[in-house]
Amino acid sequence: MDIIRVKNLVKSYEIYRKEPGLWGSVKSFFYRKKDFAEAVKDISFTIKEGEVVGFLGPNGAGKTTTLKILSGILYPTSGSVEVLGFTPYDRKKEFKKQFGIVMGQKDQLVRMLPAMDNFLLFKEFYEAPEGEFDKTLEELIELLDVKEFLNIPVRKLSLGQRMRCELIAALLHNPKVLLLDEPTIGLDVVAQKNIRDFIRKYNQKKKTTILLTSHYMDDIKELCERVIIINFGKIIYDGKLADLISRYATEKIIKITATDTISKESLGKFGRVEDYQGIRALIRVPRDRVKSVAAEIISSNLPVDDIFIEDMPISDIVRAIFEGR
Amino acid sequence: MFRQLKQASVIISSAFQRMLSYQFSVITYRIGEVAEVLVLILMWSAIYSSGNGAVKGFTLNEMITYVLVGNLCAVAVRSFLPSVVARDIEEGKLSMFLVKPIPYIKYIFLNELGRIFLSTVLSVISQLCVILFFLDRIFINTDWRYICLIFLMLILAFIIELLIGFLIGAIAFWTEEVNGLQTTLERIKRFFSGGYFPLSLLPIYLITASKYLPFQYSFFAPAQLYLKKVDLGQGLEGILIQVVWVILLSLIVRVVWHMGLRKYEAVGS
Repeated sequence: MDIIRVKNLVKSYEIYRKEPGLWGSVKSFFYRKKDFAEAVKDISFTIKEGEVVGFLGPNGAGKTTTLKILSGILYPTSGSVEVLGFTPYDRKKEFKKQFGIVMGQKDQLVRMLPAMDNFLLFKEFYEAPEGEFDKTLEELIELLDVKEFLNIPVRKLSLGQRMRCELIAALLHNPKVLLLDEPTIGLDVVAQKNIRDFIRKYNQKKKTTILLTSHYMDDIKELCERVIIINFGKIIYDGKLADLISRYATEKIIKITATDTISKESLGKFGRVEDYQGIRALIRVPRDRVKSVAAEIISSNLPVDDIFIEDMPISDIVRAIFEGR
Repeated sequence: MFRQLKQASVIISSAFQRMLSYQFSVITYRIGEVAEVLVLILMWSAIYSSGNGAVKGFTLNEMITYVLVGNLCAVAVRSFLPSVVARDIEEGKLSMFLVKPIPYIKYIFLNELGRIFLSTVLSVISQLCVILFFLDRIFINTDWRYICLIFLMLILAFIIELLIGFLIGAIAFWTEEVNGLQTTLERIKRFFSGGYFPLSLLPIYLITASKYLPFQYSFFAPAQLYLKKVDLGQGLEGILIQVVWVILLSLIVRVVWHMGLRKYEAVGS
């Protein structure tokens, strides 16, 4: 069943342009030239129940705008959007009770109040049934391990702690659809991993449909089977992450650690050398040749201590797509 | 019904709790308020001492009563809604309410109740203290019919205050800077409420105009009732005008809200 259906979605914003300098400012005080910027240009996709889909793209590509339209915050300029059978911008109560959203750059929690007071406030917003609410809350507190700072005002929490509380707030009413906009932004590696692990566990357990945007490729790699890549307001890839890698990852990376300094030139004959540090280096090798090249390196008389073969980072793949390579 | 009440009480009390963390501001603001009333009384005393026995039918004691009772009413119905609404729109915080099943207008009204509760109570108490201080100078009205009517008028005035406050804040949908307009509108509101001086000092056409505007019912009208300068019938007429305004403003709020949301661009992130 399709939970989210987007067809020919377009969203344009009104923008003002100002000529540079004082005279430009004076002119714009009296008259502002209106212009339209298209943030999303004719995109279509559907998402099935239980899917976790990664929404990828550079800043300003239209990811957040799309999420805002899906959650009913913004009206689309044209095109149709359907989530759980509702039109989001009608903002029906029954619709809002069935989805949750977390925006990494915008807090929903009241900063002056402790997390627990916030949760009780959210309970009233959602008119959540007493017994069910308590059970869900307990479960989430356990899963995200927030017990020890539930009674500290949110503004005193670290970013990672706060993000865990934000997630709880968005999930208290057991939503069927979860929209996550940069849920790990600004977090350190450990905190990122905590959030990621939680999202994976949660999806496995509840079969919640999740649409997530992130700048961190690890988030996408670990959570999403399917990715939608968007740039300049248009979808440029929609499909399995694995297919994306096999289609676009034309190279593999051989990571070398040596016991003694190896010259860059002697490595250069195996492939393109990157990140050269004397006793450590990365060599990019075409996919189909990686085995034979690795064998060559080992059997050569270079003082190689260790050798790893890795996939190209997804960020490189995505960059390659964006640059139209 | 019970559910609704519980929802309301949780929202009000969490806003109240939040305000408790600003105890210093809450108290210091009151000092300025009391000072302002004292300055007004000082000013009127100076005017009267320069020879006038009565200004447009007000004796000095009546004028002092007017200032004290009027200000008591004004602080009792005041809110700070415009800046709250404007900030939510400007900073894009509104987005987070649009995705919640509770209507934003309902939430922000309840929230404001909790937010102003402490400052209103403290204002009322400090104004009552000033009144006690001038007790031998002021006019005393203990007629319960007048007092009840004043109460009713103030409740309606508070509802109107919230509706107008929401509308002023909603200007932020159309322009990024609300402050200038907001301050000007506040002054106009204050002028037509009789907060600067009794409206009966104005030319007749302005008196008539102010009667049909909603503003005087938070200051001038209840003070006049208290002073028995208008009778109960005229007071009821005022209540009727207020009821019409409540209906009218509710409709306007609805329309403006929907127009505003169309404009809303959810800035930030």
